[in-house]
Amino acid sequence: MTKTKKNSSAIQRRLIPSYIFLIIVCFISVFPIYWMLTAATNTSYDVSQGRIVFGGYALENFKALLKAASDSSKASLARVMWNSFLYAGLQTIISIFICSLAGYGFELYHDKNKDRLFGVLLLAMMIPGVATLIPLFTMMSRLHLLSTAAAFFLPGIATPFMIMMFRQNSRNFPTDIMEAARLDGLSEFAIFFRMYMPVMRSTYAAAAVICFMNAWNAYMWPRAVMTDNRAMTMQMLVANLSNGYTVDYGLLMMGVLFCSIPTMLIFFILQKQFAEGITGAVK
Amino acid sequence: MNKRRSIQAKQGRAGWMFLAPATILIFIMSFWPMIQAFIISLKKGSSANMTWQEPLYHNYERILQDTTFKTAMGNTFLYLLVEVPIMLILAILLAQILNNRDLKFRGLFRTMVFMPCAVSLVSYALIFKSLFATQGLINSALMHLGLISENINWLGTTATARAVIIIGLIWRWTGYNMVFYLAGLQNIEYSVYEAAKIDGANGWKTFWSITVPLLKPTIVMTVIMSINGTLQLFDESVNLTNGGPANTTITMSHYIWNMSLGQGVAKFGYASALAFVVFIMVGILAFINMKVGDTRD
Amino acid sequence: MKKKVVSLLLVSLLAMSSMAAMVSAEDAVELGGTSEDENTLTVAAWDANFNIPALEAAGEAFKAVNPDFNLEIQTVSGSSDVEQAITLAGSSGDYSQLPDIVLFQDHYIQKYVMDYPDAWQSLGDAEINWDDFGEEKLSYSTIDGEHYGVPVDNGTAIFAYRVDVLEEAGYTLDDVTGISWDEWLEIARNVKDKTGYALLSMDHSGDDLPYLFMQAEGQSQWADGQPNIADNETFKRIIEVIVQGANDGTIILANSWSDYTDQTIIGDQVAGVCNGNWIIPTIEQNEGASGKWEITTLPTLDGGEGYAANGGSSLYITGNCGKADLAKEFLAYTFGGGEGAMDTYDNALRNGGVITCCVSASESDVYQEGVAFFNDQPIYTAIVEMGTHVPVIEQNDYHYRMREYVGNAITNIINGADIDSEIANAQSQVEFEMEE
Repeated sequence: MTKTKKNSSAIQRRLIPSYIFLIIVCFISVFPIYWMLTAATNTSYDVSQGRIVFGGYALENFKALLKAASDSSKASLARVMWNSFLYAGLQTIISIFICSLAGYGFELYHDKNKDRLFGVLLLAMMIPGVATLIPLFTMMSRLHLLSTAAAFFLPGIATPFMIMMFRQNSRNFPTDIMEAARLDGLSEFAIFFRMYMPVMRSTYAAAAVICFMNAWNAYMWPRAVMTDNRAMTMQMLVANLSNGYTVDYGLLMMGVLFCSIPTMLIFFILQKQFAEGITGAVK
Repeated sequence: MNKRRSIQAKQGRAGWMFLAPATILIFIMSFWPMIQAFIISLKKGSSANMTWQEPLYHNYERILQDTTFKTAMGNTFLYLLVEVPIMLILAILLAQILNNRDLKFRGLFRTMVFMPCAVSLVSYALIFKSLFATQGLINSALMHLGLISENINWLGTTATARAVIIIGLIWRWTGYNMVFYLAGLQNIEYSVYEAAKIDGANGWKTFWSITVPLLKPTIVMTVIMSINGTLQLFDESVNLTNGGPANTTITMSHYIWNMSLGQGVAKFGYASALAFVVFIMVGILAFINMKVGDTRD
Repeated sequence: MKKKVVSLLLVSLLAMSSMAAMVSAEDAVELGGTSEDENTLTVAAWDANFNIPALEAAGEAFKAVNPDFNLEIQTVSGSSDVEQAITLAGSSGDYSQLPDIVLFQDHYIQKYVMDYPDAWQSLGDAEINWDDFGEEKLSYSTIDGEHYGVPVDNGTAIFAYRVDVLEEAGYTLDDVTGISWDEWLEIARNVKDKTGYALLSMDHSGDDLPYLFMQAEGQSQWADGQPNIADNETFKRIIEVIVQGANDGTIILANSWSDYTDQTIIGDQVAGVCNGNWIIPTIEQNEGASGKWEITTLPTLDGGEGYAANGGSSLYITGNCGKADLAKEFLAYTFGGGEGAMDTYDNALRNGGVITCCVSASESDVYQEGVAFFNDQPIYTAIVEMGTHVPVIEQNDYHYRMREYVGNAITNIINGADIDSEIANAQSQVEFEMEE
């Protein structure tokens, strides 16, 4: 008993450099976010004067944000938030479904041709977003999809990265289950839905987190296709706040805060599954 | 025998069915626009009625004389060579430390390191811009500590502006990469480490002889992701420094944006040619990386 | 537990997506750039503290005579958003997403009318007395004698000074009016020595000083559609003034727009501001300096009062507008100097600080009032008057590219590069970009 105690305190002592290092890193990681939080509760003047403690101006900034949102979207902050949720949510669900289908197909039915196709698809990862903006915009406008959720998510749902992630994680999917299921007469698709999806749920969670964050944070593409203000997203609203001849920092940081809450929440809720799912620890 | 073959055929068909939706989408949403962009890159004139360049490859020829693009390329590769190694090494180190089961508050530390990833690109550029403003918090903190005697013009001086962009990138993405490594490490049996410890290997040695080799596939993936992300770097250049001072921090994507939609110039032909060159560069680098780090088969 | 969280999440995501599908289906019907309602006009604009109040004022004024009228304002994040929307619509040939009326900065309309003729409707038959506006402002939006735009704000440049600071250094506003740049630099050094204030600042990431100073000389950076800065003696002297001021510390070249406004102007580092008059609301944010500012004209190279303009935007009717008559009537009645013009511009000034370039509208009482912040000087009427003197100079679509390369050249010269080669370099870079 005393021995283990001594041992553990010795271990802890040896870990002191690690703790110090971690504390420094965490401070650097968190400080800008802390600053954002305090700025959201202060007046613009206080922010520019370098005030870094919480102030009493949060409500005013929030009201100003509500007003700014209703001025620019002809709706409300709730509507803008809802838009962002809607688009990001739709993109996430469709994307993880389609990409998991493909990842599963590439890994568990793999042959030479499919491997070649996979190599070709990987090329899509290297296409710069600025290059395809104009052709894609023209496509969306011909299809009369501008300002709809479809225009937002269509280019983003099938991504080589997601397919790659599902493919890699599918390596841990036990093939003998598949054989057994086939003998039981399950169709190939039934195997996917009834066996694969439940087993791979932490991969799905991890993919959902990544996909949601990307979709929620998208800016350049939505700005091009969401031409109607009623379809505005949070990123566009925040960009609106930072332009104009004068900038109100308190208000701006309140907007930034609202922009960051959902992604932080999703990560906190799913962080365990996220960590497990990312390299496919199958439970 | 016959039956068996038909089952195999059925399975093969099912396999292709699984791939079909994603494959079709990628072809329509990525390759087709890229082909169109390539056709545009052979043209000139206003976007409403473009005509063929003479000779057809003229836009590509022109790139060779474009000093601004050369600057942008230099900047982008500088970010790549400085930022990516620092970030990835930091991420592996953090993952290694956080993987130690004796460490207390692991969950808390992990969450805090990951937190910057939850901040959107638009937002974090705004935060960094305010912090590094001439009268910003960083300068006043340094003044109070007596480290500097007059305000540093962080974003107005080439060297510091580049440094701020690199610091911003490291801040935003280290946690993200760390999560991948951490997950990779958790797949390594803890007993391997215990054994190494008994053999008397120190932390550094375990790191190089056990952690790095076992993490190789993860490292290859994160390197490809980082190369890809850095060569297409856009938001930081636009929102943090606007490419300045004197274009010394502009990235390739930012320059392409300026040539197409950014400043009303709408030189889509030339911008598409530039974009194609970036595409080829990313492709080559990713290919080399995959060949070097290939472990499968 | 884990299972529960995941399944809960999946269920909520599913619920959300089905609701989403319904909402988006309902949205798709009413989307589009214009409104179905025959009395409603849509307009895209930006800046909730400036242009938006002006448009609201116009909407109210027109509503007073047409009670059914409704102006639907779509706020975007900047002129660049509108420009981008036009370019995208023009490239795809689909204008259906454009609103009835758009507001954007004046430099592009020439190019847009040339590139996308279908995107615009001429204002030829609108009842607007064009002589009522400053000639320089109209020179942007008139193409082959055809009018396309109705001016909203007036870009006339002012040079505002802190008279208390000047006084401390032994100068009056008269001492800085109508002088040469050399004299100005001398005064600026003295002010800096005695008070610590710089006498001018500018956002160097989009440096408008060369343009403004050249226009005050009546000259352009362009000649016959080509850059004209290399071997241009006037231009070189202007650049020397800016570089000298920057080296003396009397001209602060800020890194970004927010540094320029927040740090140098509101942050009380400068005793002088030179820019388009839309900078006035920014100056007024430093409340401690109320009553201490006054405005005047720009110096010139050889002495004498200089007049210039910067920024400013106009309203244009798009090709997508099916209610062109209503739109023209609305614009003519309000911003175009019709019966509602005084109401429109008075409220635009009160609520947004927007100053007209319509001479008859500036005869209202609001315009004649002294402004307390500017030591009771009647600055608005003064600005409108100044606007009539601004010389018309050659403009170019590559205005902003020129601005960028000239700004880069200034940075390099301050850091010790040779002025002639830097200017020649800027010229060749702009030429390179303009080449097809």
